[in-house]
Amino acid sequence: MDITKELNSNQTVLLLMPSASYNKQLVGVVKKLAKKSVCYVTLNKTANSLKEMFKKGKVNVENIVFIDAISATVMKVPKQDNACYYCSSPGSLTEISLMVSKFLRHKFDYLIFDSLTNLLIYQKKAPVGKFVSSLINKIKASDTRAVFYALSAKEQQDLIQQSGMFVDKVVSVK
Amino acid sequence: MAKTIMIVDDEADIRSTVKTILEKNGYKVVTAVNADDCLKKLKKVKPALVLMDIMMPGTPVREVVPKIKQKVAYISVVRTSEAEKEELMKSKNIVGFIQKPFSIDGLLKEVKKLVK
Repeated sequence: MDITKELNSNQTVLLLMPSASYNKQLVGVVKKLAKKSVCYVTLNKTANSLKEMFKKGKVNVENIVFIDAISATVMKVPKQDNACYYCSSPGSLTEISLMVSKFLRHKFDYLIFDSLTNLLIYQKKAPVGKFVSSLINKIKASDTRAVFYALSAKEQQDLIQQSGMFVDKVVSVK
Repeated sequence: MAKTIMIVDDEADIRSTVKTILEKNGYKVVTAVNADDCLKKLKKVKPALVLMDIMMPGTPVREVVPKIKQKVAYISVVRTSEAEKEELMKSKNIVGFIQKPFSIDGLLKEVKKLVK
């Protein structure tokens, strides 16, 4: 799967990944996209741990700005720090939505949303569905191309089906 | 004498699974549903180790940990950088950091090491 090609022909892609190869795929995707400007929304790993992982994977992180919605739940963080903007929690959908909207206005080439699966840990299905559809509509009104990650687990089928209706293409990675 | 472990996690599945594993391996187990509940229960029980989920609703864990006199090991679903892990473990009583998902063997090995 070539994510750059997929995003050339589709503005929004939902990438379904098995948990076993999740981190490997994540590095592979960002390595290709980080040649241009990327806004990376993280709900499960702190931005610093991602930077650490990307550097190990020889990814150039200079083009990446992070929206980190997880660090503040476990440690004290500033509002903004070194190409990273913090949200209070992965369940704060309004806060995340406002921040993503702000970044879309800055015309990033790509947006990576990691991940839809994590949203369901913190919020119920209905608000998550509403959030995803609103977010995708905002992306479609911009020039940014977006890739949404989700685990290809059985328990996630409802979310995958729902989100699959909004995105341009669903790609399943093996 | 069996050592007591306190499991503090807002997820009932994790509490019951870890409780079963530890009890089968000879530990006494008490559970708490969040950091506030943990403080309340620590007035009555003195565990050898508190296994605490790092992210729970209620009072933030980082505010509660300094009030605990017992050894604490964080259980974390959140993946942090090495530097952040060190920062999180700065509090004197933090003795371990167990990353979710963990294996049964890995958990038992860590608990055995930490309660020594």
